Amino acid sequence: MKLRTKLTLYNTISKLVLVTLFVLLLPVLIRNINQNFTDNKLRRQKKKVLGIIKTSGIKNNLYAAYSPLKDQFYSLDEDSLEENLDTIRNEKRKIEGDTIDYRILSYNFMLGKKSYLLEIGKSIDSIEETTTPLQNIAFVVLLGMILLTVLADQFYSGYVLRPLGQIIKSKLIGNKFPNFGSYKKVKTTTSDFEYLDISIHKMIVTIETTFQKEREFISNASHELMTPVSILQSKIENMFEREDLSDDLKTRLLEMQRILNRLKSITKTLLLISQIENEQFLKEDKISLASLLQEVYDEISIRLQDKNISYEAPVPQNWNLVHVNKFLLFNLFFNLINNAIKYNHENGEIKITATREGSNFAVSIIDTGIGISEEELPYIFNRFKKMRQSLQQDSFGLGLPIVQSIADFHGIKIEVNSEKNKGSTFKLIMPPFLIEI
Amino acid sequence: MNVLIIEDEKALAEELEIFLTNYNYICEVCFDGASASEKIAVNLYDFILIDLGLPDYDGLELLKEAKKSNPEAICMILTARAEVYDRIKGLDLGADDYLPKPFSLLELYSRMQAITRRKFGLKQNLVDLGGFLINLTDRTISYYNDEVNTITKKEFDLIAYLLLHKNRTLTRSQLSEHIWGSVINDDYDSNYIDAHIKNIRKKLNAFAPPDWLETVRGLGYKIKINT
Repeated sequence: MKLRTKLTLYNTISKLVLVTLFVLLLPVLIRNINQNFTDNKLRRQKKKVLGIIKTSGIKNNLYAAYSPLKDQFYSLDEDSLEENLDTIRNEKRKIEGDTIDYRILSYNFMLGKKSYLLEIGKSIDSIEETTTPLQNIAFVVLLGMILLTVLADQFYSGYVLRPLGQIIKSKLIGNKFPNFGSYKKVKTTTSDFEYLDISIHKMIVTIETTFQKEREFISNASHELMTPVSILQSKIENMFEREDLSDDLKTRLLEMQRILNRLKSITKTLLLISQIENEQFLKEDKISLASLLQEVYDEISIRLQDKNISYEAPVPQNWNLVHVNKFLLFNLFFNLINNAIKYNHENGEIKITATREGSNFAVSIIDTGIGISEEELPYIFNRFKKMRQSLQQDSFGLGLPIVQSIADFHGIKIEVNSEKNKGSTFKLIMPPFLIEI
Repeated sequence: MNVLIIEDEKALAEELEIFLTNYNYICEVCFDGASASEKIAVNLYDFILIDLGLPDYDGLELLKEAKKSNPEAICMILTARAEVYDRIKGLDLGADDYLPKPFSLLELYSRMQAITRRKFGLKQNLVDLGGFLINLTDRTISYYNDEVNTITKKEFDLIAYLLLHKNRTLTRSQLSEHIWGSVINDDYDSNYIDAHIKNIRKKLNAFAPPDWLETVRGLGYKIKINT
């Protein structure tokens, strides 16, 4: 879930919970407030009445009165109660046949030698009649405020988080990470995002520099190695021309030549990888998959014969590879098929299939060879990594790294499936722009 | 034929000179661009071999000069800088071939021969080998009136290469470098030369035993022609 969605959700839910709680508590609160208010009012009225009695005495002696709607009443009566009464409580009273709940102040006092009881009452209904409308108003007002604040939150968090979104969109996804494109500063006033942006940028620069250094090193190293190898090779070849050379020396020269060839192969391969990674190849060729595979077959058929391996490549004739480098793709297929032969058993099988996978195109090289164990599978594309079973084989561990470099260069994804002693499948997943039908 | 070798690596220049002299070329050697530039301006050569990575001179400049004052000369670029850009630029500027280092001397000779043939239009390039007629132009082999049409492209390449260096033993490394040269793979000794030779012998044997194709024990193969 996105940060912004989470924030909005949290804001909305927490506010809703608060408001609901408040609205639920509202009746109790209002009742309390009303009651306090009423009690105070009753006390004030009592004071007033007592004041009047004090100045003018009880002339009319005793009286009782209630308002026409019976929501208030007032009574002063002679009373023989000894105790001093001064309470406010809820009581039922019967007035003209109606039983009504009242909040009643009762007070008894002595005047002359007589004791009186003063009672002032207010009907509870009239006290509480404001509760419901108040509750409703409060609910509506609060709901409106919630909506407003949620909208404001949404807007603000969108505004504040926009730089983060930009950082993620432009630097982390979409492009391949790390993206070595030109650096564009993300506009923000939030220092955390500024820091994040700069840190990611610095990290990318570091990675890029390291990559660049490695590539330069490999490129320079292999170039520098080419000249001495060239000199040695020429010297050995010229020595072969000598008539006076003994057979023993010739055999030893031959050995030197073979070893020099190994050095040459490694150097050439490393140089090729660095050239691919430095994008020094053009991708302007067009060739049909079937004819490319035929060319590879022509080069490699002697190796198939040697191990008596059956080979079939039922691929459609109308698949054309476009925007590719033919030399590189040839080497990609050559190495994969060569591996399928090298790690196959005598009388084994190799099959190449071509299938559609959604909008992509998949070419699989399937062999019945010795397979790759699960723990070795993640490392097969590492340079100079030799697998246990390939130690006896004549290779120096650069075949699959070349395949990987060429595939990356063309935007081809490689999926490997393998089962020990059953065989391996190398599936090349080609994006739609590589194939024309 | 006169060859000018422009190569700043003295050890390599020396070997080129020895090799080409052995193949009956007359060689001159320059170790730097300045002296090469003078020589190009004064003398006429049939071949000019230019190393692009000279310390004092841009090899491509030298190529331009050579094309100007030695328009008939065949110019070949030898370089360790195998960048595609250089290659295209070199060929654009009129170089006849481009050989990336490290190269085999035999390969150099075979390229020089191929260009000469192309340039001087030596059409009928036929060699008779014990009754087998090898046509290097059409790339066919026939035995009297029958064409040996089972020979594959690779197999013909091998025969032609051995024939070019006739009476010399070519090692398996040299042969495989010639026919697998453009393939980059990670085999130590991707040597299927023996299998190829076996196939060639089998196919030719259907007509007559190809005794001229000799195995030199422990070393390699050669085509023997008595002259």
